[in-house]
Amino acid sequence: MTTPDPVAPVAKASFEAVTKRFGSGDDAVQALEPVTLELAANAFVCLVGPSGCGKSTLLNLLAGFETPTSGRVLMEGRPVTGPDPKRGVVFQQGALFTWMSVEENVAFGPTARGKPAAEAARIAAHYVEMVGLGSFARRYPYELSGGMQQRVGIARALANDPEILLMDEPFAALDAQTRELLQEQIKRIWQETRKTVLWITHSIEEALFLATEVVVMTARPGRIKARYAPTFAQSRDPAVVTSPEFVRMKAEIFGLLREEALTAQRQEEER
Amino acid sequence: MSSAAQAALRRSRWLNAGSFLALLAAWFLLTLPLVGGKPLVPPLFLPSPFAVADTFATLLKNGYQGKTLLHHIGISLFRFGVAFAISLVTAVPLGLWMGMNESVKAVLDPPIEITRPMPKLALLPLLIIWFGIGEVSKIVIIVLALFPILSISAMQAVRAVGTRKIQAALALGASRRTIFRRVIFPASLPGIFTGIRVSIGLGVTMLVGAELIATTAGIAFMAMSASDFLLTNVVIVGVLVMAVIGYALDLVARALENRIVHWGGKEG
Repeated sequence: MTTPDPVAPVAKASFEAVTKRFGSGDDAVQALEPVTLELAANAFVCLVGPSGCGKSTLLNLLAGFETPTSGRVLMEGRPVTGPDPKRGVVFQQGALFTWMSVEENVAFGPTARGKPAAEAARIAAHYVEMVGLGSFARRYPYELSGGMQQRVGIARALANDPEILLMDEPFAALDAQTRELLQEQIKRIWQETRKTVLWITHSIEEALFLATEVVVMTARPGRIKARYAPTFAQSRDPAVVTSPEFVRMKAEIFGLLREEALTAQRQEEER
Repeated sequence: MSSAAQAALRRSRWLNAGSFLALLAAWFLLTLPLVGGKPLVPPLFLPSPFAVADTFATLLKNGYQGKTLLHHIGISLFRFGVAFAISLVTAVPLGLWMGMNESVKAVLDPPIEITRPMPKLALLPLLIIWFGIGEVSKIVIIVLALFPILSISAMQAVRAVGTRKIQAALALGASRRTIFRRVIFPASLPGIFTGIRVSIGLGVTMLVGAELIATTAGIAFMAMSASDFLLTNVVIVGVLVMAVIGYALDLVARALENRIVHWGGKEG
């Protein structure tokens, strides 16, 4: 093992030639071919790719829920050995604690990490306010809309003040209008907090609107097919999505993803 | 709730009440001397509601075989309560443990699964040899019936807790202890309550079964003993009291369930 070079800036997190194989023998599925990817500090990296391409596997590896078959997953130069509050995770849905109110959900992280109840409550109130749910703090998740539930999930992850936010298709189950509003909110939150973000999505538009780096993945086994560095994330104008540059990049990625989606479809039919 | 759903609910309430009243009316019709001075069914087989109400009042005042009606009810509730409490505090923790730990499950699952389909009442003669005809054999037989239901429902509830909730808690920095106490246990409560409600129904059934044999007090004993003397009124009072007890216990469990697991089954 080498110690990180003190001169070169260490990436916030990195995947070094990571592969992942599920199962064994004839049933084994190669989810990831060697993937090498760095998440620079403050970057907002979006992974896009067809279903089953291993996007979520990459996220689960960095979260510490899975271990790589080969290669290394590093956080600030040190191998990831398991889940850690430095890496907050937001799931698509079904991960809120349904028996806790909004504020209790958000206070869960600080409380679990030993903060006194009063301080945890203060932190929770701050983040509940940040996602615009101040007047719903005492409500329970089942009393909220899908979009509000996702905001609770985001506030809960932020309340631990993590260094990285890992978001697994957080808006996939929401309707288009709600999704657009939440994308604007997430962009504002990212511009305020400058967390490093790894975001998984099916939506090219969402990726271009939010990301400082878009990583396009191939069909299974997942590899990196192309990388883009859009600049639209710096903008505060929702209308940026209609600019010619945005439209051109979107069309290009759309073309790439279409090829991969067709491959993925063939794979499914062959199974 | 939409107005259509409200209308449907109102409609089914009316039908509920109507079907109940129809049964009551049938009882009146069959037992009152409406035509020719004699009821359709002789009182020996089915006394009239008025006669049963009279008997109920007499039993309340004078008791049955020297013991008041409340005494008999009390004895029955005591047996049920003790057995239910013992089952709850042993079976639920064990079930939770089985759900958490694969080895514990591997050891305890076979004996529970093998004995589960066996009708526990069949063990009563053996239990009477072992523990005599006192309270112990009756409490043991109820515990034996409730234990598998409560432990298996708790185990299944734990195993059904969503992986994402546990992963979310891990990523938020929770220890194993915290995850059990604040995630797995509360997430299992709806499943545990389902087990509790099933076991209340079965527990009352077992109670009645145990009281029919070799005992001198209890509400089912009262009915059984009255049957020997063809005191149909007393038998019917006994049956109705047992029905009310079963219903009331279920109502209490449901009220507790609605209060404690208010989120029950609803995802968020």
